[in-house]
Amino acid sequence: MRIIELNVRGTRRRLKKKRVAVRTPGGRVVYHYKPKRHSPARCAICKKPLNATPTGPKSFMKKLPKSKKRPNRPYGGNLCPTCFRKVILKKALKEGEALLEGDVSDVESV
Amino acid sequence: MGIIEVGRVCIKTAGREAGKKCVVVRVIDKNFVEITGPKKLTGVRRRRVNVKHLLPLPLKIDIPEGAGDDEVLEALKTTELYKKLVKAE
Repeated sequence: MRIIELNVRGTRRRLKKKRVAVRTPGGRVVYHYKPKRHSPARCAICKKPLNATPTGPKSFMKKLPKSKKRPNRPYGGNLCPTCFRKVILKKALKEGEALLEGDVSDVESV
Repeated sequence: MGIIEVGRVCIKTAGREAGKKCVVVRVIDKNFVEITGPKKLTGVRRRRVNVKHLLPLPLKIDIPEGAGDDEVLEALKTTELYKKLVKAE
């Protein structure tokens, strides 16, 4: 059984970062702490990574303006363009149907 | 040409104005038309769009080709849809 030294200076460091066992030149095996990885924003329906949405630590994301964090459209930064088109079409068709049922006087046959 | 003609009320299905209603003001060619919200009413700017990005609704209003925003607004006021749009806001 190999013994890994924790190599800890403060507890916060241990919590936040990913631990990797590394053999040092002196022959010891210690943990090195890698920066946390950040997962990309994904489409809520098909789970594909979204375009035009940067990923990074919160401190970096906070510095960006809103317009650089998601596309400027309804569901921007939430749905991918393909899924978005499907959702919007479904909604629009429903509205069209509602219009047919409601006011018949100025509806033409399409 | 077909369903998309001057005075046709449509829903935009792409871009920042997707899901909003608009009126066709001028047919440019077989792919493009000029539309307007009018902006005062629905928020859709007067612009040229691809026909693929429009979903026509079963409603047509009586406007001349190239009508201004005010004319379109007046024509819309007579329809049921106008009340709904005003209520929504």
